[in-house]
Amino acid sequence: MESRAGVLEWFRFKGKGIGYFGYAFQRLSGVVIVFYLYLHYIVLSNLLRGPVTYNDIVGSITYGPYDIFVAFDVLLALVIFYHGANGIRLALNEMGIGLKHNKLFFYLFEAVSMVLLVAFLYYAWRFIAVG
Amino acid sequence: MMENRNLIRPKTSRGTLGPVQWFFQVISGVFLVFFVGVHLYLAHINFGHPIAFYDSVLNNMHNPWWLAFYIAFDWIVTYHALNGVKGIIYDMGIKPSTRKVVAYGLIALYVVSIIYGTALAIAVSHIAVPPP
Repeated sequence: MESRAGVLEWFRFKGKGIGYFGYAFQRLSGVVIVFYLYLHYIVLSNLLRGPVTYNDIVGSITYGPYDIFVAFDVLLALVIFYHGANGIRLALNEMGIGLKHNKLFFYLFEAVSMVLLVAFLYYAWRFIAVG
Repeated sequence: MMENRNLIRPKTSRGTLGPVQWFFQVISGVFLVFFVGVHLYLAHINFGHPIAFYDSVLNNMHNPWWLAFYIAFDWIVTYHALNGVKGIIYDMGIKPSTRKVVAYGLIALYVVSIIYGTALAIAVSHIAVPPP
């Protein structure tokens, strides 16, 4: 019971400020990335099963019939860029940088990371569409 | 001065992980920005060296530098991931005895994961690239 309350506590943002929002989503995004990490282990293990199997899997999740995974990949990229930018902010905080302007740093780092995300998605999409 | 600084320090896992493990979490995170950046560039953007399908992955892993890169990436990302999971589980208010079980369980999972990841990378690097 205590555990469930602990996780739910992440999402009680009222009156806690943007720093708490950053903290809660750092954890949530972290959990998503850990899940993906082990999924990645499983997908890459199929390299041992040969080119036909591996290319079938990669092809089916990129060009269909399971190309819904491209949408999941976009969400995953969003989560990774968010987590990385907020992580750099926290690392700078550890060195005493940005503590006085935490809110500004949060928005600044997330804005830069979202611009990088859009650029990444554009080129990644071109890779899928053009080859 | 220091008091003021501490007052505005953002909420993190520092308290639950302890200063040493939090330090390693931060350092590994900084390294991962580099590793993930290189990986996303290499694997998902077509600037002349994309890796996506079987042959391109094999070609890439035949280069010992890339093999070393991905093994190091595997060790660091898995450490960062499982250390983060530990912080989350600890924050759920579990008993000290359960914490010990969680800590040893995650260490075991880490060791198994990096052995598997390293073995997979080395095995892939030894597969001959099929002729075109």
